Amino acid sequence: MEINIENVSMTYPDGKQALKSLSLNLRSPGMIGLLGPNGAGKSTLMKLLVAALLPTSGAIRVDGVPLEKAERELKAQLGYLPQDFGLFDELTVTEFLDYMAALKGLKNPKAHIWEIIRTVNLAEKAKAKIRTLSGGQRQRVGIAQALLGTPSLLIFDEPTVGLDPEERIHFRNLFSRAAQNSLVLLSTHIIEDVQSVCDHLVVIDGGAILFAGTPEQLIGIAAGHVGTFWEKEAAREQGLMITARINTGQGVRCRGVADRLPACVKPEEPTLEDAYLYLTSGEVTG
Amino acid sequence: MTAARLFLPELGRLLKNRLTWLIALLTILSPAAGLTLYRPAEADTMMSMYLANPSLAGGAAGAILFGLLTVYELDRAGRSRADVLLDAAVSPLTMALVRLLSMIAAAVWTLAAAMLVWFPVSKKLIGSVLGATDFVLAYALFMGLAMALGILAASSAFLLTRRADLASVLLIVFAGLSLTVWADDWQLCWLNPCVWALSDDFSNFRIFRSVAYMRLTWLLALSGVWTLSWLCVRQYKKGLFGSFSRNARRILRPAVALCLLGCCALSWAAQPMVDHSDPDETKMSFSEIPYLDKVAYVRRLARVFPDTDAGTLRGTATYWLQNASGEEQTVAFGINPGYEVRSVTANGTKAPFRVGTRQEFNEALLEVEIPEADEVELTVEYGGFPRENGNLAIMQGSMEISDEYICLENANLSPRLMNVPPGEEGYPATIEITLPDTMTVIPFGTGQADAVDRGEGGTLTWRYESNGTGGILYAGDYIRQDIRAGGIDLEFYYGRKHRDIMEASGAADAVKSVVDYCTGHYGALSFLAGNSLKLIQSRVSGGGYATNGASLLDEQDFTAANLSDTEKGAVPGEVMIHELVHQWWGLGNMFDVSDGTDDWSAEGLTVYTTWRIVKELYGEAYARENYVERWQEAVDDYYLNFYVRNPQYLEMLPEKERAKIDNSLTWVRRYCEMPLKILKAQELVGGEESMDRILRGLFNRELDPASPWLTKQDFLDACGLTEEEINLG
Repeated sequence: MEINIENVSMTYPDGKQALKSLSLNLRSPGMIGLLGPNGAGKSTLMKLLVAALLPTSGAIRVDGVPLEKAERELKAQLGYLPQDFGLFDELTVTEFLDYMAALKGLKNPKAHIWEIIRTVNLAEKAKAKIRTLSGGQRQRVGIAQALLGTPSLLIFDEPTVGLDPEERIHFRNLFSRAAQNSLVLLSTHIIEDVQSVCDHLVVIDGGAILFAGTPEQLIGIAAGHVGTFWEKEAAREQGLMITARINTGQGVRCRGVADRLPACVKPEEPTLEDAYLYLTSGEVTG
Repeated sequence: MTAARLFLPELGRLLKNRLTWLIALLTILSPAAGLTLYRPAEADTMMSMYLANPSLAGGAAGAILFGLLTVYELDRAGRSRADVLLDAAVSPLTMALVRLLSMIAAAVWTLAAAMLVWFPVSKKLIGSVLGATDFVLAYALFMGLAMALGILAASSAFLLTRRADLASVLLIVFAGLSLTVWADDWQLCWLNPCVWALSDDFSNFRIFRSVAYMRLTWLLALSGVWTLSWLCVRQYKKGLFGSFSRNARRILRPAVALCLLGCCALSWAAQPMVDHSDPDETKMSFSEIPYLDKVAYVRRLARVFPDTDAGTLRGTATYWLQNASGEEQTVAFGINPGYEVRSVTANGTKAPFRVGTRQEFNEALLEVEIPEADEVELTVEYGGFPRENGNLAIMQGSMEISDEYICLENANLSPRLMNVPPGEEGYPATIEITLPDTMTVIPFGTGQADAVDRGEGGTLTWRYESNGTGGILYAGDYIRQDIRAGGIDLEFYYGRKHRDIMEASGAADAVKSVVDYCTGHYGALSFLAGNSLKLIQSRVSGGGYATNGASLLDEQDFTAANLSDTEKGAVPGEVMIHELVHQWWGLGNMFDVSDGTDDWSAEGLTVYTTWRIVKELYGEAYARENYVERWQEAVDDYYLNFYVRNPQYLEMLPEKERAKIDNSLTWVRRYCEMPLKILKAQELVGGEESMDRILRGLFNRELDPASPWLTKQDFLDACGLTEEEINLG
């Protein structure tokens, strides 16, 4: 599957412009991490991709066909987990997945549903009413319904919210496995998640793409712009963005990013988080 | 295709919701309201009371309940945010259609369950006259389609407004309009169809057709509205108009909506059930058409072929006229507005004719040009689906044409000649009617119908002679019993379905007892033809009437419930006597019943006479115990009644409550207090023989055509008593 996003802009009826002439190519198989601060336009982009919204201008093509015309075909091979979703509380987990499988047109889905229930660690709750589930369990039901039918396009918007660290690791590995055959788009605030599994990253801010490339390329951008320093030494330095603070016996040891590192800052190898923060802090000049 | 695939899963999901089951349960129970709280069918037939009312109540309740459930279900996907998952899998348009179909399927399931629950109940309450066809049609049309309309209306309201509160209010207002403002318009009352009666003993296809037609019109209307609202299903975060303009891009969708609304308008305007008779019934322009000069009537032959499956009729009426005017003349006929005149020929050649647009008293004016020839043989071919009088649109059902019952009156039988004076022998006519051979033809009058020809396909042609421009014909699956009583040959006709009840209540014996007694004590009925009389049980009609040689008995008087009414008689056979006594008091002598609260009505003398007959049949002690003592008991209670002693408080009650209490009090006044007063009058005038003489005199008195009623004052004057003297104190 190949998705071409061509000069897509999106302005909501209230006048808020969420995306500005955004262009992007997404191709399967692969796992793309979508990063950006709150309000950057990530969710809007995802809603456009699942045809929940129509762009104000520009075009989205799925395998060369405009999304408007390929909407039904796209939905047939789409797995989507939105950031904010609900479930039918009166159904059991199995019944809900059975229902969603029917909506997706899966035939004889019983075995497949059970496989997914086990995959998302909900076997014990398979017969439980959804109203009895915890927040994390409901999130797992959401992930499970997205995985139904082994879709060729998977879009996850903050999928690991509410999951404990062990589950987070489990699911990001799961997404990674899915990406071997599908195109997976993963939006998250948790850099660790994308760092571990995404082979491609897109950073959006203010409705525009700041970066599109591999994690290594993103890290490369921040090379020479990351360092550690004592807070008291750098107190008067301008343009230094602190990304971490550790209280020690000698004082507060900080890690920061800057377009130009002051002399008091000891340069360090950037991490993906450093690079993302460097990119979105507005310190990149050219 | 996708919708079909998703239908079962969505229905399954719907049925897993406890609220769905609660609504279904309440709907299944709701026909019970028709037995007590909500009884729109006013007739006293068993089918009206125990089939029409429960199914109508079930329809009203079911439509509202399922409408509200629809709003809830449509709203909850958005409310719970499950819609974002569903919309990513299936188009919201498809989902809206699937939800509608699932809700209708749930309603159908509920209807089926209600029918299973209520059939044995109805069977027990109604008894042997309940037919499976009537039961299924009543529940399907009165209840099932109301639920479908409620779902369509609610779904449309929600899809348009996207607000559960607003959609619920709109549904309630829509239902409220039907129950109040539109209740008296048979085409508008979508929720509560105008069903005033269902017949026990004969078929009900006409009223079922009427309700089905009304429902069809509303189904078209609401399907059209729903399709428009479906085009407003919000997509892509667009508003009402944005979504509509986007969804309506596929031209077929709005075209279907417009087509449905167009069909609805057509169905509304072209309704075939009732005519457009002038509501001002003081205008009788047809009866004011003057007789033609020098045109005379010779005879008429009408050949009529009802189609008992379709409820239609076709016929050929030939009129032999003499035209001595030497010029062309325009002959006027009244014809049922539902009939189409297919051709008119005069002496074998086509004659010009026109049917006017004005309609009055269920007739349209047919005018035919006849040639200047001396002898004119005028043949009119006509036929179609007869329309009922539009002014009585809320009481449809009388123009039944089925293989169980037919009543054809005047212009419904054949075109009624209006402006040709009678010949020397009046208006002699020969009527031939071809019907299924299970039916018996009964001319309402002196004539006798004879079977003259057995046709193919189990039909029989009947012929009878009559005299008149119109005439009334009854036909049905009748049983005839010949009874000789009081020197009169009686032909007693009643529906075959009623045989068990009639036999159990000793109908033939009752007829004999009453005719013997009343003829002997009060005199012969004025509408006897020589020494014969037909007593014909009619389909429920709201009252009986008589003509020379025939008298009609409304089937309401012979229902199992009425025959068990102990106010009228101790046992069914005695109620039968009571109803037959009405031939003398009620029909033979009429009573003005315009004052609904008056104690004077046909019932007083009828109950009194019933007591006298029972006394003669079963002895003084039996009659006293079962009649006089019961009257006295009821009257004692009546005088102790709070509202009788404090009528000012009755006036303070809400109108509905007041009417209910008034009715029960009037019942006692008429059925118990008045007979006791007559009994007191009997003592004051010198006993039974004296009273018999007085009543005989009243029965045979000279009638004032302007006021033919037998009044209380007439009775008091004949007794030489005053009101105060007969008061029970």
